[in-house]
Amino acid sequence: MASSFNSLGLFNSGPHRFRLGAEGEYALVLARIDPFQAGSTPVGPLELVVIVRGRLQASSQSALWMIRDTITAQLTHPPQIGALVDHSGRTWDDVSFTRFEVDDRIDRGRIWSVGYEATFTRFLKK
Amino acid sequence: MIILNPSTVRFGAHAWVDVTSIIVDRTADRMVIERGDLGPHITLTDVPEQRITIRLSRQIARDEHSSPRPSDQEELVFCTAPAASDGARRRVRATCVVVSLAHELSRQRGAIQHVTLVALSSDGAADPITIEDASDGVL
Repeated sequence: MASSFNSLGLFNSGPHRFRLGAEGEYALVLARIDPFQAGSTPVGPLELVVIVRGRLQASSQSALWMIRDTITAQLTHPPQIGALVDHSGRTWDDVSFTRFEVDDRIDRGRIWSVGYEATFTRFLKK
Repeated sequence: MIILNPSTVRFGAHAWVDVTSIIVDRTADRMVIERGDLGPHITLTDVPEQRITIRLSRQIARDEHSSPRPSDQEELVFCTAPAASDGARRRVRATCVVVSLAHELSRQRGAIQHVTLVALSSDGAADPITIEDASDGVL
C-alpha cells in the first residue's frame, strides 16, 4: 500500500519507513531555569512526532528535483494539517508536515536518488 | 575483465614487456541499500560510488630501476586479441594512477612485479575504461 499525506503520495518514488518519536510527558529540567536547582517538573504531554525516512529515486536529475519540489511545496506556513497514512493503512490525523531534510549528497548510480528524513508533528491544541 | 599475456602494454611513455596478466576489477566503494516497512527484503540497491582497480603482473627478467611509483598518473594502453594476429584486436585505454608496486621473488616463478592502478574517469560519469577496435595494428 502506498503511503500518503493529505492524500498525496509524496514519498512513493522510493522505499521509506515510518517511526514514531518519543511519547509521554515533557519534563522540564529545572537547571535550565536556575542552574542551582535540581530535578525536573512535568510540563505537559509530548507532541506526537512521526518521522519518515527513505530515499527518493528518479531516472534523471530533473525528475528527482521535481519530486523534491513537490514535497517541499507542502512545507507551508502556517503548516497545513492533514492525515498521514503509512504503508499498512495506519493513519495519524491532524498532523503537520514540519521539516524535510535530505542527505549530504545526491547519489548518481544506475538511478538518481537521495536519502531524506521528513518530520510530521501533531501540535498540541491550545 | 581478465587479459592473459597481452601483446603490448604501455603506461605513458613506458613500454611494459612480459606482462603475464591484467585484471580489471569493478567494485563498489559505497552502496545504497534500502528496505521498506512491508518485509525483510531489500527493495532498492544502487552503487553510486564505484572503483575500477587494475592489477597488472609482469615477469621481470633483469634489473629494473625505473619502476612506476604510487601516485604516478598516466594513460594505460594495452591490446588484446583472440589470436596472435591483428584480427578482432581490441585496444583498451584508461587513465590510471599507480596505487601500489610490489614484487615477488621465488625459485619457481622468478621475479614478478605487481602493479595496482586505479582508473580515473574524465568527468565522473564516463566509464574510465575505453575499448576500441585495434585491428590497424597500432598500439
